[in-house]
Amino acid sequence: MASSLSSLASMVVWKPMHKSENMISKKRNNNNFVVFAQQEVQESTSLQQEEEKEAAKPVKGVTQPRPVEPQVNVESKNMGRQYGGQWLSSTTRHVRIFAAYIDPETCAFDQTQMDKLTLILDPTDEFVWTPETCSMVYSYFQELVDHYEGAPLTEYTLRLIGSDIEHYIRKLLYEGQIQYNMNARVLNFSMGKPRVGFSYNEYQAEDVNQ
Amino acid sequence: MQGNLSAWLVKHGLIHRSLGFDYQGIETLQIKPGDWHSIAVILYVYGYNYLRSQCAYDVAPGGLLASVYHLTRIEYGVDQPEEVCIKVFAPRRDPRIPSVFWVWKSVDFQERESYDMLGIYYDNHPRLKRILMPESWIGWPLRKDYIAPNFYEIQDAH
Repeated sequence: MASSLSSLASMVVWKPMHKSENMISKKRNNNNFVVFAQQEVQESTSLQQEEEKEAAKPVKGVTQPRPVEPQVNVESKNMGRQYGGQWLSSTTRHVRIFAAYIDPETCAFDQTQMDKLTLILDPTDEFVWTPETCSMVYSYFQELVDHYEGAPLTEYTLRLIGSDIEHYIRKLLYEGQIQYNMNARVLNFSMGKPRVGFSYNEYQAEDVNQ
Repeated sequence: MQGNLSAWLVKHGLIHRSLGFDYQGIETLQIKPGDWHSIAVILYVYGYNYLRSQCAYDVAPGGLLASVYHLTRIEYGVDQPEEVCIKVFAPRRDPRIPSVFWVWKSVDFQERESYDMLGIYYDNHPRLKRILMPESWIGWPLRKDYIAPNFYEIQDAH
């Protein structure tokens, strides 16, 4: 558990652009955790904090993530063995969802705030992410959380949400909106090898025997 | 065609149905869920002190759920112990079968597995909860009408 948290810290902090997302979701479980869906867009490391965040024009028709105030003095809470030592999470290669509040800079894992879902997007950098594609995934995450409102807060539902986001990322890949990162540490094309599109109109295969 | 045990049960007036013999020559009986807890004790007293295995299966989509018990007698100096196979059929809407944990202890985990995979609820089982699937799983995986959700599994990755 401690090792996984430190590996998480080491993988997230050195990235120039943070791709993590905090979202407060409304889920109902036996303990009556009921919260509203909001979202906090994480921005980069301290180096880029001086830069003003560009106010992107909201695209009509796309679900805009609702903002959440950033928190200070977040500490890792409830990570010890006496609390069960586990957390509700869904972890796949590109999508990690935790039912906790993870501070973007310090990576403090606050488990007492189980009303929030934190999404960490592609920590291994298998794809090339731009702010536009990131915001597409975030808005899809927001839509999913709204859709799953009222569901019990279990790992089962978190896995369903994570799988839906992974299918969405694969759809973006097949449409060409995101690309594989050729400088990735592990380049194994996990969502399908790149293919030549024979249906492209502008690409004419040259005849060899000319 | 009736076996010895079936004849003995008929002699004592216990309601059952004989399902004949399977390919290994083990006689098979069908017992109703309501009578099962009493007949289990009767069989234990008769001498079947070892529950070899308990399994369950889905008979047909939309049909019954079967819970199967293989009983045998463990004793010294016997080459071919007596065996019997009991099938208890439960309706799909309310699959409740009395647990025989208090008769044969080894049925503990096996009934938990049948509950986990098929949803057969065993009454009076001391700790009936999921044993193979994660605790928060929804659905009974080995039922014939179970559809797994579209999870992004590792085999999707190339």
